Amino acid sequence: MFLRLVADSFGRRPRHKLLTGAALALGMAVATAALSVALDVGDRLAREFRSLGANLLVTPEADSLPLEIGGVDYRPVNAGAYLPEADLPRLKTIFWHNNIVGFAPILEVPIKVGNPDSVPKTASYIPTSEVRMIGTWSNHQVQVPDGSIYVTGIEKTNPWWHVGGRWFAENKPECVVGSRLAKRLGVSVGGELMVFQAIKEATPTSSTHLAVVGLLETGGSEEDQIVAPLSVAQALSDKPEQYRQLYVSALTKPEDAFAKRDPKSFTPAEYDRWFCTPYISAIALQIQQELPGTDVRVIRRVAEGEGQILTRVQMLLWLVTGASLLAAVLAVGASSAASVIERRTEIGLMKALGAGSGTVGFLLAAEQLLLAFVGGGIGYALGIVLARLLGQKVFGAAPEPSMLVLLVVLGLAAVVTLLGSALPLRRASRYEPAPILRGE
Amino acid sequence: MTELRGTNRAMFWRIIRRLLSANRGRLFVMLLALGAGAAVTAALLNLQVDAKRRLTSEFRSFGANVLITPHDHPDVNALSAVMDDSLFDRVPTENAGQKVTKAEFLYGVVQLSARDRIRQSTSSRQVINAIVSGYAVASGSEYLPHGLGQVAPSVVVGGKNLDQLNIRTCDVGRELASRLNLAPDLSEGVVLKNSERQDWCAVAEVRGFGGPEDSQLFLELPAAQALLDRKGKITLIQLSVPGTPRDIEHYISDLRIALPEVEVHGIRQFTEGEAKIYNRISGLLTATVGIVLLLTGLCVMAAMTNVAMERKMDVGLMKAIGGATRRVLRLFLAEAALLGLAGGLLGAGAGIFLSIGLGKAVFGVAAQPRLIVYPVAVGLTILVAILSAFPLRRLASIRPASVFRGEA
Repeated sequence: MFLRLVADSFGRRPRHKLLTGAALALGMAVATAALSVALDVGDRLAREFRSLGANLLVTPEADSLPLEIGGVDYRPVNAGAYLPEADLPRLKTIFWHNNIVGFAPILEVPIKVGNPDSVPKTASYIPTSEVRMIGTWSNHQVQVPDGSIYVTGIEKTNPWWHVGGRWFAENKPECVVGSRLAKRLGVSVGGELMVFQAIKEATPTSSTHLAVVGLLETGGSEEDQIVAPLSVAQALSDKPEQYRQLYVSALTKPEDAFAKRDPKSFTPAEYDRWFCTPYISAIALQIQQELPGTDVRVIRRVAEGEGQILTRVQMLLWLVTGASLLAAVLAVGASSAASVIERRTEIGLMKALGAGSGTVGFLLAAEQLLLAFVGGGIGYALGIVLARLLGQKVFGAAPEPSMLVLLVVLGLAAVVTLLGSALPLRRASRYEPAPILRGE
Repeated sequence: MTELRGTNRAMFWRIIRRLLSANRGRLFVMLLALGAGAAVTAALLNLQVDAKRRLTSEFRSFGANVLITPHDHPDVNALSAVMDDSLFDRVPTENAGQKVTKAEFLYGVVQLSARDRIRQSTSSRQVINAIVSGYAVASGSEYLPHGLGQVAPSVVVGGKNLDQLNIRTCDVGRELASRLNLAPDLSEGVVLKNSERQDWCAVAEVRGFGGPEDSQLFLELPAAQALLDRKGKITLIQLSVPGTPRDIEHYISDLRIALPEVEVHGIRQFTEGEAKIYNRISGLLTATVGIVLLLTGLCVMAAMTNVAMERKMDVGLMKAIGGATRRVLRLFLAEAALLGLAGGLLGAGAGIFLSIGLGKAVFGVAAQPRLIVYPVAVGLTILVAILSAFPLRRLASIRPASVFRGEA
C-alpha cells in the first residue's frame, strides 16, 4: 500500500515531480561540477606551474664559492667540485619519484669557437672567440634501476628556452647555438662550428667539429653561449662522466605552516607525515639522501610564488564551490518546501482517513528521498559532463570522475530535500484535517 | 473611461497584494530561492572581476620580471659594463594603476673576511673572494630599506634587528655565510676589502635564495659604490612589473622607447610562465563562474516554475469569474517580476557582504564592490522570475470547471 501510494503520487503529478526533480538535478549538477573542478585544480595547476621550470638546484657540497652574475660563472676553470653522472638515475627511485617531472645536469666549459667557413682549409691558425659551452641533456634516456626508461632533458627544466631548428641528438657531434652568438659568428642551422679547449692552441688538428642543428632563444645570457650534449662538454673539459649542477623540476604541495618548521624539531610521527607529503623541502631531502655529497637547494624565486598562488586559487575555487552549493541548496530546499506546502489537502485527507502524522511524514519523506536520489544521480552525471568539458577546455585534460563527489552529492541532495520538506511537514502535522478539507 | 482604468489599476494591485500575502510560506520560499540566486550571482561576478586583478599582483611574489642592462657587451666583461644610476629615476613607477617595484644593483668582486666585533681582529679568519652586490629598492617612488625580498624572493635563515643601531648593515647569502663561518648569532660583522679600500658591515640577515644570490653579500648601494670606486654607477636594474601579461608587454615596449641607451628585456622564464598560468587561471575562473551561474539560474527557474504550477486553483478561479486569459497571465507575470525585484534586491544586498567576505578570505583584502554588478544581478533575477512564471500560459487552456472538480 505504501509503495502504491508513492507510485501513485509520481504517476498523478508527473509534471510537478519532473520540475522538482529538474531543480534538484540542476542544483546537484552545480555542486558536482564545482566540486570536481575544485578537487582537481590543485594537481592541474601544479603541473601548469612547471612551465616556470626547475624548482630545485643540486650542487656539489664541497664546491668552491661560485662567482656568478647574470648567468655567467666567473670562477677559474679548475676550481670547484663535480658530481658523478652515473648517480642520476637514482633520482627516480626516491619516495616521490612520480612527482619529478624532469631533471637535467649542467656542465659549463669555457671554450674557443671558430667558424670553419671563414677559414681556408690550409690555414695553420684559426681565428676564434672565447665563449661558454653548456653541456646538458636533451631527450636523454635514463635507465631507471627498476628497469624502466625515463626520458628527460633541458626542455623540461627550462621550458622557456625556444629552439629554432631542433634540439641536438644525444651522443652526436651536434650543438644548439645562442641566437646572438650565431649572429656574431655568422652561422645558421645546417652550418658547422669548430670548438677547442680554452687552454689549448687552436689548430685544425685539435678541433672538434659540431653540426649546428638549432638556434637558441632564451632572453638571457644563454643566447651568447653554445648548448651541446653533456658528453661533448665532458670531453672538452676532461671531466668524463661528471657534471656540476643539476636542475630538478618537481610537482610539490604548497608549503603550509607545518612544512615551514625545521624538520629537526619534528616528533617521529610528524617527521613521517612531513616526509610522506610532497613538500618541496621533503623532496629536497630525499634527493640529497639519494645523491651523496650534494647540496640541494630550493629555488625560492620559483617555489615561493607557486605555493602562494596555488593556495589562493584553490581557496578561491573552494569558495566559489561553497557559494554555488549554498545557492543550489537554497533553491532545491525551496522547491521541495513548496511541493509540500501545496499538498495540504492531500495531507488533510490522509489524516482524515486515519493516518498518523508519522505515517504521513514517512510517506512524504520516502517520496522526497526517491526524488533526491534520482535527481541527484542525473545531476551528478550532468555535472561530470560539464566538469569534463571545462577541464578539457581549460587544461586540455578532463578531471577523473570521483566516487567521493557522487556520495557527497547524493547525501547533499537527500539532506536538502528532507530539510526543505521538514519544516512545512512539521506544520502540516499540526493541522486539523477538517478545516483543510473544507478549504479554509 | 479614465476612471474605469484607474479602478482597474487599483484592482490589479489589490489582487497582486493578495496573491503575495495569501501564502506566507510560499512567499518566503520564493524569496529565498530568488535571493540565493541573486546573492551568488552578485558575489561571483564581483569576485571574478576582482580576483583576476588581484592575481596579477599575486604573481609579483615571483619577484622581478623585467631587466635593464647596459647595451650588448661580450659577456666576459659583464662586471665592468655599467650604466648611470640616474636611469633608475627615469623608470616609470606605475603600470596599470599598480606600483612597480624597482631595484638597482652594482656588482663587484671583493675580498671578504668575517670579523669578531668584540676582539676587533681579523687574524686567523679566512679571506675569500665573493661578489658584493650594492642595491637599493624602491616601490613606486618610495625607497624600501628592507626591500630585497621584493625583487629576489628568499627565505630568511637567520637574522636580527639592527635597525636601532646606527651602523652599516648588510644581508648575506646562505652559502657565503657558511663559507665565512658566520656564527648563528651573527655577533660578527664582515670586513670588505677592494685593493686599498676597506669597509665593514654588521650582518642583519642571512638569506636563502636557491640561486647565485646565495653566494653574494648585499650592501647599501652608496656604500658599495664607494667600495668599488664606481660613484653613480650601477650594473643592473630589476623591475617587478604588475599587470596582466599584455600590460607588462606594453610597459616593456614603452620603456624601450623611453630608455634607448640601455637594453630592456623581460625575464622570459617569468613573463612567459606567468602569462601561461594567468591565462589558465582566468579561463578556469570564467568558465567555473559561468557554469555555476547558468546552472544556478536554471535551478532557481525550475524551482520557481514548480511553485508557479501550483497556482492552478488561482488561475481557474480567476477565469471562472470572467478574467481574460491575457489579463490573468499579466497578473501572474507582474507578481513574478515583483518577486524577482524583491528577491534580487535582497540577494544583491547579501551578495555585497558575501563578496566582501570571500575577498577577505582569499586575498586578505575585501573585494571592491563594483556597482555595475548589482543592477545586473537584480535584472537577471527578475528575468529568471518572469521566465519561470511563463509556463502558466499553459494553464490558459484549462477549463475552470475541471480545476474545481479536482481533475487535471
